[in-house]
Amino acid sequence: MERSLTRDPGFWIMVVIGLVLMIMGPILIDMFTIMQITQYVVLSVFALSLAYIWGFGGILSFGQAAFFGLGAYAFAVSSISMGDTTLPLVLSFVIPAAFGVALGYFMFYGKLSDVYLGVVTMVVTLIFWKLANHTAGPEYSIAGVRLGGFNGIPSIPTINIPGQPDAWLDPAQLFRFFMGVLIVVYIALRILIASDFGRISIGIRENETRAALLGYDIRRHKVIVFAIGSGIAGLSGAMWATYQSFIDPNAFSMEMSAKALIWVMAGGVGTLLGPILGVIGLQWLTLQMGMVDFLNSLVVLGAIMMVLVLALPKGLVPTFKSLGIAGWTLWRRGRGVSSGVKKVTSDD
Amino acid sequence: MDYAIIVALEMIRAVAWLVLLAAGLAIIFGMMRVINFAHGEFLMLGGYTVVVSTGAGVNEWVAILLLAPLVVGIFGVVVERLVIRQLYGRMLDSLLATWGLSMLMIGGVTLIFGNTVQGVATPFGGVRIGSYQMPVYNFVLIFFAIAILLAVWAILKFTRAGLIARATMQNPNMAETLGIRTGWVYMATFGIGSAVTGLAGGLLAPVTGVVPAMGASLVGQSFITVITGGAAVITGTLSSATILGSISQATTFWAGPVYGDAALLVVALILLRILPQGITGRIFKRAL
Amino acid sequence: MTDAEKDKGYRILRTRGLTMRFGGVTAVDNVDFDLRDGELRCLLGPNGAGKSTFFKCLTGQLVPSEGQVMLKEQPITGLNTHEIVNMGVGIKTQVPNVFDGITVYENVRLSARRKNTAGIARDMAEATIEKCGIKHLIKREVGQLAHGQRQLVELAMVLAAAPDLILLDEPAAGMTGDERDRLAQLVLEAARSAAVIVVEHDMQFIRQIAKFVTVFNRGAIFREAMIDDIMRDRAVQEIYLGKQADAAA
Repeated sequence: MERSLTRDPGFWIMVVIGLVLMIMGPILIDMFTIMQITQYVVLSVFALSLAYIWGFGGILSFGQAAFFGLGAYAFAVSSISMGDTTLPLVLSFVIPAAFGVALGYFMFYGKLSDVYLGVVTMVVTLIFWKLANHTAGPEYSIAGVRLGGFNGIPSIPTINIPGQPDAWLDPAQLFRFFMGVLIVVYIALRILIASDFGRISIGIRENETRAALLGYDIRRHKVIVFAIGSGIAGLSGAMWATYQSFIDPNAFSMEMSAKALIWVMAGGVGTLLGPILGVIGLQWLTLQMGMVDFLNSLVVLGAIMMVLVLALPKGLVPTFKSLGIAGWTLWRRGRGVSSGVKKVTSDD
Repeated sequence: MDYAIIVALEMIRAVAWLVLLAAGLAIIFGMMRVINFAHGEFLMLGGYTVVVSTGAGVNEWVAILLLAPLVVGIFGVVVERLVIRQLYGRMLDSLLATWGLSMLMIGGVTLIFGNTVQGVATPFGGVRIGSYQMPVYNFVLIFFAIAILLAVWAILKFTRAGLIARATMQNPNMAETLGIRTGWVYMATFGIGSAVTGLAGGLLAPVTGVVPAMGASLVGQSFITVITGGAAVITGTLSSATILGSISQATTFWAGPVYGDAALLVVALILLRILPQGITGRIFKRAL
Repeated sequence: MTDAEKDKGYRILRTRGLTMRFGGVTAVDNVDFDLRDGELRCLLGPNGAGKSTFFKCLTGQLVPSEGQVMLKEQPITGLNTHEIVNMGVGIKTQVPNVFDGITVYENVRLSARRKNTAGIARDMAEATIEKCGIKHLIKREVGQLAHGQRQLVELAMVLAAAPDLILLDEPAAGMTGDERDRLAQLVLEAARSAAVIVVEHDMQFIRQIAKFVTVFNRGAIFREAMIDDIMRDRAVQEIYLGKQADAAA
């Protein structure tokens, strides 16, 4: 079935756009804008983590921020104490993923579903947030790095070239590196989704009973999907930490989880491109709103979320897609072309 | 000896606190299966109603017992008509839409009132128990927690309105064919649930500082209490509030408030793991 | 499995004292059931007789209140559905459980993929789809098919996994005459290489496939005999009519 992935023009277009942006970006665009875009790139990786587990695994998590924050803190602590950022990047994926396995096991083998799942993921994020906020004193440190409580951890090192702790990446290189990560994550997820593992995950999302009736262990599948999403979220947390050189308990905030949900809802559950567009759109909107005095970001976020749920339950991309298809069909009918059934062959 | 009494009373207060926080939400979730994520902000609205009206010279008790439930109740009805009505049966969508509402409310209130903490005087003073002091207001909270539970139970069990409400929730189609206007029932239920929440917010205003984001820390506890309680309104809320409240308060006495908060969350997780449908999803299944 | 071994007592499916209670209602009452390897058995009985509940106890969708279920002489009581399925059971539920959002081909292939490599799964899927006569639907999204067609898709999914025991709950429901004939053909053919249990109401369909029949009533086994004897049995007629008479009263 990987065949159909390599034949999908959409996939190649995305990869090419990504590569072009990655290589040509810093050359054609000014540094200030590049640094803006870097932020979008980091948040896009975060968005993809939820887009994957929700859209392709049927797991609606209200606490993706838990893993985002976990990855950020893991990176901060290990990079400051080690002085090099290479291993910390790996840890920022592995540690949240491990936690994802544990939490996933707890939830899915406990047959939690829907609402209850949402509440548990939210509670876990709350726990992290509370704990992070209360670690202000000097006695709260890991590997010699103070956790800083609500003050957070400052002076987080920038990514350096592996093996050369003093060779930091400049903004242009950082942008390219992050774009590279985004492209790799995108490709990896596309391959995963197109694989049989991914198809079964989609089957589980469609009809759990039937998936079980086919002999698949649903719980195991969900744990794996959830853990992968957790690792990716953690990685994006590390990217965020290094980009800002600073991290605080807001990484665990409900707002962070809410943003992830909005990006995916706005972009469309069941696509990968959509949430990325959601990130760009929303962040741009927040930026514009920041310049306007009479509205604050919460009002905007809240209003958008409500509009999305009430008016566009499928999200922007699928809605436009449906509108597009409807328009196309009408146009073809109007031109007297029959939209008959295509001849079906079994080897497509 | 007096220390033991203090501990016991504080544990009861902690339970009452959770009951107050959760009662309105439990009515709405238990009866309508709707998740109101703006619950914390409804509490906040109750608090602000008290702050604003007492600031304008209204008697504190009138503000708490009359105005707060009234204002939030009416607001609830409006929200139900405009938002919730579109989302029946879509549990997750109602969660997301009300989450949006919550952010909208926090942002809106911040714009109007700013971010500073507003205070309301705590009525009464303290009472001596042995060599310890305890605010009399604690008893007020406990009293109203019990009163609300009893009132809701009585209404549901003994009045015609309660019967109609229960019938509608259990089988809306059947209720419609019997001539019950289910739309009105939903609206009234959501309104009453909001009013109870408003009352709770008003009652809690003297205890916590009133600030736009106060809902954020309260909503977690409310939700956890309701979801761990399960579908039954009275028994569910009471059982989960009792377990969570007493354990977390006991832990606070033993190790401090941070651990007390953490204990509540951990116990909730354990309860949900053992009883994935909440306490009354398995035990007391047919109870109110 | 020689004939001698068959008669010696190996049963592919056995239940002993199987009981299912819901609150105050006993839906399945102390049922002892046996199925020989390769046998085709129909389960009949009026509505509410407990057939579907019994069925769900076999598939792991319900955990019996009392009693035992043995598959291939191994106890399976209380096992998860996927564990039971992986022991070689194919299940078709009363309400079709299929993957609505994907194609017929994908549905069947995912079933075959469970125990086979990708290449073999592909071939099995195509062959089974052809055999079930739904090749013209192969690229269609299952959610858009008619009820009878979806039943056939589900049947194809079951057959594609080549199970040793096939459980079908009302497979003929909602089917046209042609679809039902094809279904009967498929069931008879499947019964040549697997044991089959069919729960059904549709008398025309039953007449096409039934040999040995178990009749349920009020949660217990009422009678077990060959289909012709059952059709002539006054008592059996009465339990069906009894329901109608009660309803008319």
